Amino acid sequence: MRAAHPFTQLAVAATLPALAWTLPAPAAGIATAALALGLTATRGLRRGLWPALLTAAPFWLFLFLLHDARTTLAIGLRITTMVASFVWLAAALVPARLVEAMVARGWSVSAAYLIAATLSAVPTLRARAQRIVEAQRCRGLSPRGSLRNRMRALRALAMPLLLSALHDVDERALALATRGLVPGARRTPLRAPADPVLERLARWGLVLVCVGALVWRLV
Amino acid sequence: MSFWYPATEAPALSNVSFAVAGGEVVALVGGVGAGASTALLVAADLAPRVTGGQIEGIVSRTERSGIVLPTPWTQSSGMAFTVWDEVAFGPANLGWPAQEIARQVDHALERLDIAALAERDPITLSGGELQRTIIAGVLAMDPGLLLLDEPTAELDPAGARAVWRLVRELAREGKAVLVATSDLDALPDLADRVVWLEGGAVRASGAPQLLADDAVCAAGLGTTVAGVWRAARLEPPYPLTVAEAVRRWR
Amino acid sequence: MALSVALRLDGVGFSYGAVQALTDVTFTVAPGERVALLGRNGAGKSTVVRLVTGLLAPAAGTLWVGDWDTQGLAPEDLAGRVASVFQHADQQLFARTVREDVGFGPRALGFSEGDVARRAEDALEALGLTPHADEHPYDLPPALRQIAALAGALALEPALLVLDEPTAGLDRSWRARVADALAERAAGGAALLVVTHDLAFAAEALERALVLDGGRLACDEPLSGLLTSAARLAPLGLLPPTVAALSEGLALPGRPVRERDAAHTLARVARGGPRA
Repeated sequence: MRAAHPFTQLAVAATLPALAWTLPAPAAGIATAALALGLTATRGLRRGLWPALLTAAPFWLFLFLLHDARTTLAIGLRITTMVASFVWLAAALVPARLVEAMVARGWSVSAAYLIAATLSAVPTLRARAQRIVEAQRCRGLSPRGSLRNRMRALRALAMPLLLSALHDVDERALALATRGLVPGARRTPLRAPADPVLERLARWGLVLVCVGALVWRLV
Repeated sequence: MSFWYPATEAPALSNVSFAVAGGEVVALVGGVGAGASTALLVAADLAPRVTGGQIEGIVSRTERSGIVLPTPWTQSSGMAFTVWDEVAFGPANLGWPAQEIARQVDHALERLDIAALAERDPITLSGGELQRTIIAGVLAMDPGLLLLDEPTAELDPAGARAVWRLVRELAREGKAVLVATSDLDALPDLADRVVWLEGGAVRASGAPQLLADDAVCAAGLGTTVAGVWRAARLEPPYPLTVAEAVRRWR
Repeated sequence: MALSVALRLDGVGFSYGAVQALTDVTFTVAPGERVALLGRNGAGKSTVVRLVTGLLAPAAGTLWVGDWDTQGLAPEDLAGRVASVFQHADQQLFARTVREDVGFGPRALGFSEGDVARRAEDALEALGLTPHADEHPYDLPPALRQIAALAGALALEPALLVLDEPTAGLDRSWRARVADALAERAAGGAALLVVTHDLAFAAEALERALVLDGGRLACDEPLSGLLTSAARLAPLGLLPPTVAALSEGLALPGRPVRERDAAHTLARVARGGPRA
């Protein structure tokens, strides 16, 4: 199945939570959460459904401790929709395609890059985090044991990642400037994603649905 | 030219003067912190424009420059799915027509011997493969002035030799090349001129023969052969390369 | 307690899924021995390193670090015996000062503060990092951060030091300092296993060569013989380092591969000593 245009993906990921929050609970929540989780399932169990469920679980726990059953269900479903939509987007959206789509529309290259760079930093940082964990373990860092031990472990793992990532940002700015990514650059789109009329109409449709839901709710 | 990084008292470069012409390879040598990397950043118009800081003196360029920094993974665009796209990143940002981009990219991939990697995801590349990809990415922008900071740091000896051969080829084609490297033994065959930087100032400059100079060797910056000759307390002038030493020995 | 063996691999095999990375690798490293692990990319060198440090467990055969069988031991358990420095180690630093980062290993192993301070001081001293000891790691250039990571490994005072390309990005004076520090540790009884393609460094710091080819141990011999043979090095994609090439080209007696030895021999021959 050919991937949808990045703007369509963004629209869908924004619409589901918007509807979950504006339309009456719990019916809306159930429908949108089911749709969102269904989307994450299309990305597979490991990369889609499981992370979504895992991320949403703590919220359900807190809600359960703080609120009664009805409120828990209502808010829980809305949060699940948000989390699942975001997890799906992170897995489905390819930053390079998003930038190309933005550029093909004539949007500022630098702004497009900023968004793409944030999203694509994840795999690099994940790989580096693994390397850091291994290196620290080989220096005797044990993630097991007392609370004090675990706190020390966290610092030894998180700090190098943060420091090296921040340091990278500095160097990256230099490197990008030299590869032509400067304000005012007019980039040639290399692989502009296809944007069939049907998808464009669908996006406008989604926007209308959201606005409609909001109006209906307020009136 | 003198240059200060932001919020520092001591200049990173003081009173540095040199020139690079098309078809020439000039090498900057010096210890850690001597200022070679800074000099390249100034030449690339990244210092002080992007790094901040203060500059005095004149820097004049007649060609567009492309710089390759020493750490490859900070230079990947972060938004290319394939090596081909990564190399095309620069040319695309320059707004060239798609056909021209394709031509330059394919040519650059060939010259760096990574055409086989064209469809790979840059994340999966080894350090050496990534370094060659970055060099290809800068080359694809067809700069008249090529600035290289330790371009062989991640490469194995065979890869390093290939890059130096490519540099000489590029110079023959008319490009100006300024390279900072600690691979001193490669310089006699690579560089037309050597500039010795120490503490941000130019201590000496001249033909690669400089690397057999007594003072340079004393600073640990001579070629290995010259260093051994000097340590054996034989008379200067010291030979630069194994070939020269063998000739002299006979 | 002196160990008679620092590292022993016996018929070790490992595969990543369907890809056989190592087959039947057997060798022993004695305390104080300095070994270079050579081979093309993909020959299995990093796999050996990961097995020795406990990040991977052998699929076949056994691996002993000292008298400990690594089966069932995690990397943090082995840190008392094996200290390792991987590539891009400059990214693992995190403490406020270099000194504090160097002391991280010993502290994690539970040594007293006094011991930790002494070990850190010794390691910094050995590598010439003392002038930078109280700076923030990220104020230093990447080359010095890499040296600081090495100091961290030295501070563990291990029986076995495993290093992966320790001289990448270093200039000649730092390479010499690393070679000297490692030689000092080896003289004190530590065994060295160094993955490198920097043969000039290997010539200065190491004495024995283990060559991996396609996951098997292709040869195990003294390093100096291998370094002067361009024919043997060519299949590995390597050339003889400059000093070895000089020795061979000038036909220096004994074919020295280290700079100091070559200079010494050269001086002797130039003064009219035997040229045979």
